[in-house]
Parts: sequence; structure tokens; C-alpha cells
Amino acid sequence: MNMIKSGVDRKKNALVTTLLLGMASATLYLLLFLYSESLTHVATLIRQGHKIYVVIPIGGALIFSFVHGAFTGRFWDLLGLKAKKQVG
Amino acid sequence: METIQFIDLTVSSTIILFLVGFVGGMVSGFIGSGGAFVLTPAMMSMGVPAIVAVASNMAHKFPKALVGAYKRNKYGQVDIKLGVVMGIFAEIGVLIGKNIMVDIRAAFGPTGTNLYVSFVFVVVLAIVGSIVLKDGLMEKRGLGKSMDPSPKKLPALAQWVRRFQIPGTMIHFKSIDAKISFLILAPLGIATGMLAATIAVGGFIGVPAMMYFVGLPALTASATELVIAFVMGMGGSILYAMEGAVDIRLAMIILAGSLFGIQIGAIGTTYVKDYVVKFVMAAIMLMVLVSRFFYIPGYLSQLGRIAPIKESTINVLNGIGEGTLFFALVFGAVMILRALYTGIREHRITEVDATPLPALASRENFSRFLVASDGSDFSAAAVREAFGLAQKCASKVYVMSLVATGTEYGGLGQSILKQEITQAQTLLDDIQKDAVSLGLSCETLVINGQVVDHEIISQAERLHTDLIVMGRRGRRGLARMMLGHATANVIGKSHYNVLVVPRAAHIDGRHMVLATDGSRHADRAAITAGELAKKCRMPITVVSVVEADAQADLRSKAEQTVQRVVDYLKREKITVEGHVMLGRPDAKIIEVAQEKNADLIVVGSHGLTGLERILVGSTTERILNGTSTAVLVVKEG
Repeated sequence: MNMIKSGVDRKKNALVTTLLLGMASATLYLLLFLYSESLTHVATLIRQGHKIYVVIPIGGALIFSFVHGAFTGRFWDLLGLKAKKQVG
Repeated sequence: METIQFIDLTVSSTIILFLVGFVGGMVSGFIGSGGAFVLTPAMMSMGVPAIVAVASNMAHKFPKALVGAYKRNKYGQVDIKLGVVMGIFAEIGVLIGKNIMVDIRAAFGPTGTNLYVSFVFVVVLAIVGSIVLKDGLMEKRGLGKSMDPSPKKLPALAQWVRRFQIPGTMIHFKSIDAKISFLILAPLGIATGMLAATIAVGGFIGVPAMMYFVGLPALTASATELVIAFVMGMGGSILYAMEGAVDIRLAMIILAGSLFGIQIGAIGTTYVKDYVVKFVMAAIMLMVLVSRFFYIPGYLSQLGRIAPIKESTINVLNGIGEGTLFFALVFGAVMILRALYTGIREHRITEVDATPLPALASRENFSRFLVASDGSDFSAAAVREAFGLAQKCASKVYVMSLVATGTEYGGLGQSILKQEITQAQTLLDDIQKDAVSLGLSCETLVINGQVVDHEIISQAERLHTDLIVMGRRGRRGLARMMLGHATANVIGKSHYNVLVVPRAAHIDGRHMVLATDGSRHADRAAITAGELAKKCRMPITVVSVVEADAQADLRSKAEQTVQRVVDYLKREKITVEGHVMLGRPDAKIIEVAQEKNADLIVVGSHGLTGLERILVGSTTERILNGTSTAVLVVKEG
């Protein structure tokens, strides 16, 4: 029975991690939509010569990619989508 | 210069962008080729100006390339120096390409850049699409040649490049152990960058260039391309962002969809034949080409380069263009999902048939071993000793290798996942040959997953193994200085006995040291050690260690414990002696192992918690870290 329990525990841990990453990702996207107009305004400011604001799109791209990438990677794994197993 | 307009984000445009990103990601993962040639035209069809479409596309790609390059570097697949050198030249190419775009925009307005981008798309997709289609047809007829240059025979072009020696321009690259003039790399890098700045797909040039000009294997070329993609992608994104052309909202919505899609596509490739991937790739490319083609008359008319075309006719042509692109996206998605669904279903049926349950047996039977191999020296020791032990115990050995899932599979050139699986299978095939030559029954498995320890434990459960054999420090060893992260996790989280084999360890059957503290798990270790000693005819020294300042009753209890184990082992007809020692348990156990020239230490371990350090047990972990002898960690079960 312990073995079954250990399998369940591992799946539970994987689920919790995936959910936490999913929530972090969802929060980022919520912020993206809430501040949608400000982000368009940032691009206008850059065009007007305030080049320092370039850090917002570039930094944003990095943060979104790390968080959402970690979430989606675990998401499909959790659902059991795996490459074809090669058996020799 | 005209003001760059960002499109309004409505619910419907957001959903469309997400879906376009998803399909684009799926196509990227499947054909391992950017996907930008789907994403850029799709954004343009939604009314996004070409410059914003290309810029936003770049911004969504470079962080993925960073993650991918970091991970592939850990697996030793990346030539960082080559990637950085090519990346710097590519950056120059991006600068040139971007300036061309900005100049065209200044001279002819957004229609000018739209025409320019569409024209480059049509030309590049026609060339690449035709080559891919031809390759696919050749492969289907069995005439295909491997994309990977033979390691023994360098492509003629690469041989010429290496003979091209100009003093003062030569750079040595570790991956090929040869010098190449940067004068050769410069045009290749610049062309990659210019193409990336124009249509956001640089890999069409970068990967074949590194394979055929530099002579890199396909996998290293694809992985190194990730470094180039990061260096030039980040630089290019900054350059475009300085123009205010990066719409971060668009980029991130596309990213949301594409990251979901990439893994579906990459995993899909493992279920189909190579030529199917090429047919799908060629079909999508040629359809996108046709769709772009329909926009060109409208652009030319707006620019006054051809006789004016009626607005209604332009609308019809644009409509056909949009329809063709939509069809290309749906076609790509359907083909990939179909391949995945059919493949998984067939695979599951064969898998169920292929794994019969073993006969019921005691867990001390040592009849089925599972060895984890990653091709490193650390795991080579585990494989070697597992085979040695399997010969003594007449066990069946399963050797598994894990290919980690990642988001870098959209990363250009060829599908990295499929190449990695092939590479892992080649490694396991060699291991299997060794096993067969030793007269062992051996099966190999290449597993794809995210978490190494999780996959190892799952396979142990599925195969009903009674021993997991691992190296002390695998590829994830950097995470922990001594005991490998995955090894520590497997010991901590599973109920299976784990044999940890340091690189220099050899189990010849000389002597076994059994550590005991009288606990239940120590008793379990004693029973297991006894069974193994009988099979390997090994003498055992039983050791119990108490602190130097321990009270007399503790020492007396330790003596009783040792005597109890010694008596049990004697009844099992094993040559055995017992000692109670004073000092730090791990240090004394290692000391005894050295004195006795022991080749195996057996310890018990308990429980299940997520905290591997607590779980492995600090004494057990210190023994594992402090000895060069193999250690069998017996779990309570």
C-alpha cells in the first residue's frame, strides 16, 4: 500500500507545483491586461526618446517566459503527454 | 517616419492571437523551425504592421532560446563560443536588416515594409519549402540521406572551410576541435541575422550553415543555434524596442499559446516517421507562401508600382490570402494532433502487451534491476556494477535514459527532442550490446519527462524492479556538490532499495560492511545484506557505532544489537564478524570499510518526506558522500 501512497504523494506534489506556477502565470497575464493601455503608452514614450523604458518590454518578456514556460512544461507532463517511449 | 500603430486588444483578437500562438507553437515544435513564418504573416493578417509583427515575434522568442541554451549546455550539446561568435555577427545582420526595414518604412510607409517582408517570405519559403518537400519525397522512397553529417566523413564544404587558413583570423572551437576563420563565420552569421530581422526566422540559415560549413552534428548545431537565437534575438528585440516597435501585449499573448503548443508539436514528432514531419513542414510553408503571394498585388498597387487595382479586387485577394493562411494553420494543427492521437493510442496498446507482470517474489530476490543512465562517466559506473551484480544474482536488467521535456523545442533547425531520443537510444543500444555479451537479459527504455526522480520511481513501479542502481553524481550534480540531486531524491522519495555507485567503485564480492543501529530499517538492511551475501558469497562485518561519550547502557545495547544480527547471519551460513565502535557513525563505518577493503556498504534508510536531506538520513547521506565504495541503501518497504 505504501508504494501506491508514494505514487499518489508524488502526483500530489507535482499537481501543487503546477498549480502554483499556473497561478503565478495567470497573475502575470491579469496584470498584462489590467495595464494594457499603460504598456501601449510605454511604447509611445520610447518613441518620444525615453529609451530607458525599453527595459519594460524586454524584462517583461523574460519574466513571462520563465514563469509561463515552467508552468506549461509541467502542465503537459502532469496530463501524461510524453514522447514515444523507446524500448530496446 | 510614420507613427507605429498597435492594434486594439479586444476579447476576440486576444483569443485569435492565443490560438495563432498555440498553432504556431505546435508547428514550431513539430518541425523544429521557429514557427515565425506562421506567426508573422498571421499577425500581419490581423492588421499588425509588419515591423511590429517581426519585432514582437522576436521578443517572444529570445527568452525561450535563453532557457533552452542554458539547459542544452548542461547536457554538453552547446558550443557556447561558436554560438556567441555567430550570435555577434548575427547581431550585425539584425542591425543591417532592421535598418533596411526602418529605411523602407521611412521612404514608402508601412505598405513598403509589408511588401518587403511579404516578398522575402515568398522567396525564402519557396526555396526552403521545395528543399524540404524534395527531402521528404526522397526519404519516403527510401532514398533519403541522413541530415546528420557522418561523424567519420566531414562534409566537403566543412573540409574546405577548415583548410581555409588566414593567420590572425582563426578561432579554435572545442566542439569540432579545429580552427575556423571568422571571415567564414561572419557572412553566415550576418545572413542569419538579416533573415531573422526581416521575417524572424534565422534558423533556416544558421543550422544548415553550422552543419555543412562548420561540420557540427545536427543536434549540436540545433542546440548551438539556441545561443545564436538568444544573442541576436535579445539584441534585435532591444533594437526594435528602441523604435517602439515591440508590442509586449501581442508578444506575451502569442507566447502564452505558443508555450502550450511547442511541447505537443515536439512530442508529436516522436510518434511519426521523419518524412511525415517534412511533408507537413513543406505543406505549411508552401501554403503560407501562397497566402502571402495574394497580398503582393495590393501592396504594389498602393505604392503605385503597378496599374491601380480596384479596392474591391484587393479586398477579394486579401480575403483569399487570409483564407489560405487560416487553412494552413488548421491543416497544421489537425495533422499534428492526428499524428499524436494515433501514435499514442497505438503505442499504449503495444506497451500494455509488452510488459507482462513478473512472478511474485520476495523483495530480496534481486531478480530485476533498474539502472538509470545519462551517458556520463558517473552513470557508466552504475551500469558496469549493475551488470556485475546481475551476473552474480542472475537478474534481468532494465537500463533507462531520460530525455527531459523543454520549451526550447520550438528552437529552430531540426526537432531537438527527436534527435535527443535517437541519441539516447544509440547510447542504450551500446549498453544493451555489452549486456548481451555478458550473457545478461537486458531491456532498454528511453523516457521523456520533466522530473528525473519521478520518472525513475515510476518506471521502477511499472517494471516491478527490486533494486534501483544509480551513479553518485549525475548531470544534475551541480545542484548538489556530492550526492546527485536525482539520486538523493530517488532514495528519499521511493520505497525501493537503491545501490549508489561512485565512479571509482568496483563490487568484486570481497567484503560487505553492514551498519546497524537496532532499528526496524536496520533489521531490514540486515536481511537484504544476508540475501545478497549468499548470492555473492561475501563475508560481512556488522558495525554499530555509538558516540564516544555514550553511557555504558547504550554501549551494551549496541553490543546486543550487533550480536543479534551476527547470530542471524550465522544461521544463514554467512561468514560474519561484529564490532561496536565509538565515534561519529559515518566516519567509523567508512573507516571499517577501508580497513576491510570492503566493496559494499549496506545501510538502512527510512520513510518518505519531500525533504531529501532529512529523509535520506544525515548519517546515510554523509556515508554516501564520504566513501568511494558502493553503498546499498535498503528501504523499509
